[in-house]
Amino acid sequence: MHYFDHSATTPLHPKVKKLMGEVGDFHFGNPSSVHAFGQKAKIVIETARGQMAKAVGCNSNEIFFTSGGTEANNLVLWNLIHQNKKHVVTSVIEHPAVLKVLDNLEEFGVSYTAVGVDKNGGVNPNEVQNAITADTGLISIMLANNEMGTIQPIREISSIAKEQGIFLHSDAVQALGKIPINAKDLGVDYMSFSAHKFYGPKGVGALYIRKGLKLQPLIIGGSQERRVRAGTENTPGIAGCGLAAELAVNSIQDTHTHLESLAKAFKEEIKRISPDVIFNGHPKKNLPGLVNVSFPGYRSDLLMIYLDREGIAVSSGSACSSGDIKPSRILSEMEINDEINICSLRISFGTGNTLEDVDYLTTCFKSTLERIRSSA
Amino acid sequence: MPEHIIVGMSGGVDSAVSALLLKEQGFDVECIFMKNWEEDSDYCTSEQDYKDALLVCHELGLQLKTVNFSIEYKKRVFDLFLKEYAAGRTPNPDTLCNKEIKFKAFLNYAIQLGASRIATGHYARLDQHNGSVILLKGNDGNKDQSYFLFMLNQHQLKKAIFPIGEMTKKDVRNLAREKGLPNYDRKDSTGICFIGERNFNDFLHQYFKSDPGNIIAVNQKIVGKHDGLTFYTLGQRQGLGIGGGHGEKEEPWYVVDKDIKNNILIVAQGHDHPDLFHTYLTVEDLHWITNQEPTTKNLNVKIRYRQSDQPCSVNITNGTAIVKFDTPQFAVTPGQAAVFYDGDICLGGGTIKSRN
Repeated sequence: MHYFDHSATTPLHPKVKKLMGEVGDFHFGNPSSVHAFGQKAKIVIETARGQMAKAVGCNSNEIFFTSGGTEANNLVLWNLIHQNKKHVVTSVIEHPAVLKVLDNLEEFGVSYTAVGVDKNGGVNPNEVQNAITADTGLISIMLANNEMGTIQPIREISSIAKEQGIFLHSDAVQALGKIPINAKDLGVDYMSFSAHKFYGPKGVGALYIRKGLKLQPLIIGGSQERRVRAGTENTPGIAGCGLAAELAVNSIQDTHTHLESLAKAFKEEIKRISPDVIFNGHPKKNLPGLVNVSFPGYRSDLLMIYLDREGIAVSSGSACSSGDIKPSRILSEMEINDEINICSLRISFGTGNTLEDVDYLTTCFKSTLERIRSSA
Repeated sequence: MPEHIIVGMSGGVDSAVSALLLKEQGFDVECIFMKNWEEDSDYCTSEQDYKDALLVCHELGLQLKTVNFSIEYKKRVFDLFLKEYAAGRTPNPDTLCNKEIKFKAFLNYAIQLGASRIATGHYARLDQHNGSVILLKGNDGNKDQSYFLFMLNQHQLKKAIFPIGEMTKKDVRNLAREKGLPNYDRKDSTGICFIGERNFNDFLHQYFKSDPGNIIAVNQKIVGKHDGLTFYTLGQRQGLGIGGGHGEKEEPWYVVDKDIKNNILIVAQGHDHPDLFHTYLTVEDLHWITNQEPTTKNLNVKIRYRQSDQPCSVNITNGTAIVKFDTPQFAVTPGQAAVFYDGDICLGGGTIKSRN
């Protein structure tokens, strides 16, 4: 399959798909019902909660299912309006599901400071420390960036947060299934996940809430998810999320090795084809299988059209709902100039990709670069 | 191999039917959705436009790709638009957008993608005359868009196709409905693309500070206050805020002129006030589509989009045209395009610099 955009979304794992079908067929009861149909559905959800908890190193009662990563982030951030301390320290490379929420919270008295990143896309913990004010109630820094793949120093930041008595949230949507995650080790208070990034279904995700903390619901109604998230549970989705997390974490070593070998092969060949390419992001502290590369002089949208014609999916900037390509905000924050910025592509390999796929990809890159050069 | 044509798809019915016609004529058609403006508010319709374009292409079985020229648009069109406004003029960004973006950046891009020509859903026609490409009005007199295309040159027009130029809007919609195109009854877009449906003055206020001054009638009497000359257009009637009691008669007020130096907005009462009409105008930055100055002096001119042809005589010296209208014209507006016609032929035009 010539799909190299797994950071945007992933296909369903066949086992996940199978389970979701079974749940839909046989466990369709309302989990809140006390009869056997309801009980079966409840068991499905609690099984998934256990799988999810195990996958991220926490207890089952610390996992709350949501409609996705965006909702999980919103749940944490909107609770700031109930807090006394209303200042947030975050970073400029957070997803809009954090930054836009914070913008919207301004009218409710919430303010924030977004720290910058270095040229590799990394947040400096000292800058986080320096941005803290007497009014800071929350730090929200992603575990790994979606565009660059740079892994952020959450452990260091959590020591700072603890020292100062500030809660720490981490958007881990990109990280689960690619790097080991342990909520206790990381020392976070809240962490967001999204199933479709790890071969689970779309429209479901989870929020880790450290034991002892309590959030007010965003979606208000019934008493589902221990009153943190009302609404009849998406049983097939939740089942899929749990199993997908378990499968992803069980095979994380193999996945890591596989994705890194694909990325390595791709980088070597691309470097050979086009020696002036620039690889963006951190050379080591990086998600496996995610390559952000600039081809100076070749607009990324042009490259994408040529590749798309060959059935190849890659992305440029972050995937954007109106289907357009614009200078990447993240690359701009890394002080990469617009000319290089608009020549950047993100290739994110997945478990289904093979070395043959990489061959096809690099062959198409080669012919595309040649064709563009000859038509210029 | 059939000729490879790239169609600029906007999501509207005109470009959709253009793609449909070319496909039926056997061309190898590929569609590109162009985004030239980054959303700065909820007013931007590009999300909906993209969805419509996608559904049309799906229906037609055509590929849709996207491209973003917002950096180019900002540099080559919008910055100039603001500069003209700051100088008190009323520019038309759409003529510049055609010259710099659709028929330059986009055209080059399409060529890089292997296309031999591009097509757009403009209501205009092309023909050959003495070895040159000539631009003709669209057959739908009410929709003719040649006015917006007058800045194009031979190279640009040689690479262009306007598949619906022979058709009326009604025919276009009927054909779209007949062929099951989902956007057949979509509302026509109005106004300047990046402003969309929002209030024009609110938009300008994002870029220009208020600079209040007096509104003075042509008889020197102060009749009100303005908010900044930038926010007014010559001939404007609404939004002047001149209360009753100032005039000798109960007729609406119109903007006659802007005194930039003294920050005064000059107004007159009644649509037929002689100060609102001019017989002469000066046009600069002339461009002729066939690179030839017109050989006859007696031409028609349009000084705004969708205006009916206005007979005039034209004298050109040193790249400046002095135009004398047969009948005086209401609200001749510096910054707008004056486009010359000989019958159906759009000859070219320029920017209105002054009038008297």
